[in-house]
Amino acid sequence: MSPPNAKPDYATYPSLTSAQARDAAIQLLSMGGEGRDVDNDVLRRIERFYNREARLLDNECHEEWYKLLADDLFYWMPLRENRFRRDKRPEYAPENMALFDECKADIAVRIGRLTSKLAWTEDPPTRHVYVVSNIEAFLTPIEGEFEVHSTFIQYRNRSEHDDATLFGRRRDLLRVNEDAFLIARRMIELPQSVLLTKNLTAFF
Amino acid sequence: MSFIAAELIDSTFGTVDRRIFWDLDIYNLELERVFGRSWLFVAHESQVQEVGSFVTTYMAEDAVIVSRGADGINVFLNSCPHRGNRVCFADSGQGRQFTCNYHGWAFGLDGTLKKMPKMGLYKSTPGFRMEDWGLKCARVESYKGLVFATFCQEAPSLADWLGDFRWYLDAVLDVEEGGTEFLPGGATRSVMKCNWKFPADNFAGDIYHALWTHLGGSEPTLGRHGGVKVDNEGSYQVSVNGHGWEFNDSFLGNAATIGDRELLRYMRSREAAITSRLGKFRARMWGSVASATVFPNFSFLPGYFTFRTFQPKGPLHTEISAWTLVPKGMPDDIKDRLRRGSMRTFSPSGLLEMDDGENWEHSTTANAGWVTRNQRLCYAMAPDAGPAPEGLPGTVTAGQLSDANQRHFYRRWAEMMDADSWDSITLDRTRHNLSDAE
Repeated sequence: MSPPNAKPDYATYPSLTSAQARDAAIQLLSMGGEGRDVDNDVLRRIERFYNREARLLDNECHEEWYKLLADDLFYWMPLRENRFRRDKRPEYAPENMALFDECKADIAVRIGRLTSKLAWTEDPPTRHVYVVSNIEAFLTPIEGEFEVHSTFIQYRNRSEHDDATLFGRRRDLLRVNEDAFLIARRMIELPQSVLLTKNLTAFF
Repeated sequence: MSFIAAELIDSTFGTVDRRIFWDLDIYNLELERVFGRSWLFVAHESQVQEVGSFVTTYMAEDAVIVSRGADGINVFLNSCPHRGNRVCFADSGQGRQFTCNYHGWAFGLDGTLKKMPKMGLYKSTPGFRMEDWGLKCARVESYKGLVFATFCQEAPSLADWLGDFRWYLDAVLDVEEGGTEFLPGGATRSVMKCNWKFPADNFAGDIYHALWTHLGGSEPTLGRHGGVKVDNEGSYQVSVNGHGWEFNDSFLGNAATIGDRELLRYMRSREAAITSRLGKFRARMWGSVASATVFPNFSFLPGYFTFRTFQPKGPLHTEISAWTLVPKGMPDDIKDRLRRGSMRTFSPSGLLEMDDGENWEHSTTANAGWVTRNQRLCYAMAPDAGPAPEGLPGTVTAGQLSDANQRHFYRRWAEMMDADSWDSITLDRTRHNLSDAE
């Protein structure tokens, strides 16, 4: 048993190699909503899963939310750049700077900060509301894995006049886990090239 | 409203009138006298490597295009002289010319006016000369990959502007043959509702805040202060011409808080080579607990290697653009680790940066109160950390926990604000022979 004040050794947490992260990014980029639709039962279960996920995040149940993540999680928010249409460079590339480019261990570190009681800017707490919509789910070549596209609104408010509303689109690979799912891949597309708020302290 | 900037700053004991953080008249004079006269960072040469490649950015509130022409890098206003419209709307790209959307005036890679629809209308206009109507060009000079520009014809050279600060800049810009580059994919950009000087003075000399502000970002994961020692033993502040760098001799103190053992292993493996290149003193600065600002608004952090501009957007708003700088010769895997490491610490989603914005925003907005804005702020910390080491370039004080650099920053700011022209601005004398090896 570890002593009460021991720091978690995040190096032992589930992680990806650079090559694995790169492959995961390429997989996400290839997910264009071209598979066969899932049946209504699966779609309902995915909706239920997303609603629960949003509620956990709204209520700062970070440890519970963390359990929804697969050990091989790749969690990615690439940068947006204003480019001319004639520009041949792909806007998203695994080697580009990003706003999130994470494996499960990195998420654990972020939760470590949020639950440390030392993040002064989260005390008093920030209030969040997530709205998830436009859910489309598709079969993949792997049974029990689903490609899911959705949109979200994340509203946050803290202190008195401090708020931000972020809209975006998510691209997930969900994996069946008992009667629910695990998030194995997530790509978050914010439409802002200049982030019109001071930071991203929460999850998407 | 009139004011004398020197009366708003007491740079001897160290107090600052809060008016400089909210007053619109002061802000407008800053645009003219501070930003309008300074060499401002615009790009890294690696961003515009081929002829025709460009990036767009800002010099304070002036939008500019940085373009690689046949004769080198050009910087010119991103505003058409015809009706004023923005000319280029892409952040980066490649092309042969820049064409205004409004009437189709087209400009070359050096900003000169090349053509427009129905040119005959102008050919028959008395007194109209194509060469009078190009995009307004700035002076452009580089230091070891970093490109600076100014529209001020009277400003001294970039070499004089940076002065002895160059000797320190080499600790991040010249650690090996082959130079440096910015990692690909553009800048992380974000906005804060704060006056630009709060982040700029913070990077110039405020490691003090890290001991408290960043506890949440470091202590849960890496032990208190990221397991890194921050005190006034073996640590310094240096100021040259208002540029400021606070640092210690820990070599990898900042880098350690990224928490990537492979990255640290690699950086340690470089110490001997960097030492033989730069000498022990500067080699120990490469990734140490440190922060720096090149006056007025270009800042960086050794170890995380985030380089950023704090562009003013009115007295109450700042836009941050940040890039990650690496030696070109660094192995790809290590570059990738630094990409992720700088993102996870110092980007809008970074565990350390996310605690800063809140402080700077509320330091700014509190000044809405009339009583509040009339109370001066304290920049007085000046602990006795012993004598400054001798023989180092610039104005050096012992001990990185100090407000010394910030007092120098505001002294420079006040001098530029009160000066009618460059004739009455005095730069520090450059003493160090940069070709001297240690």
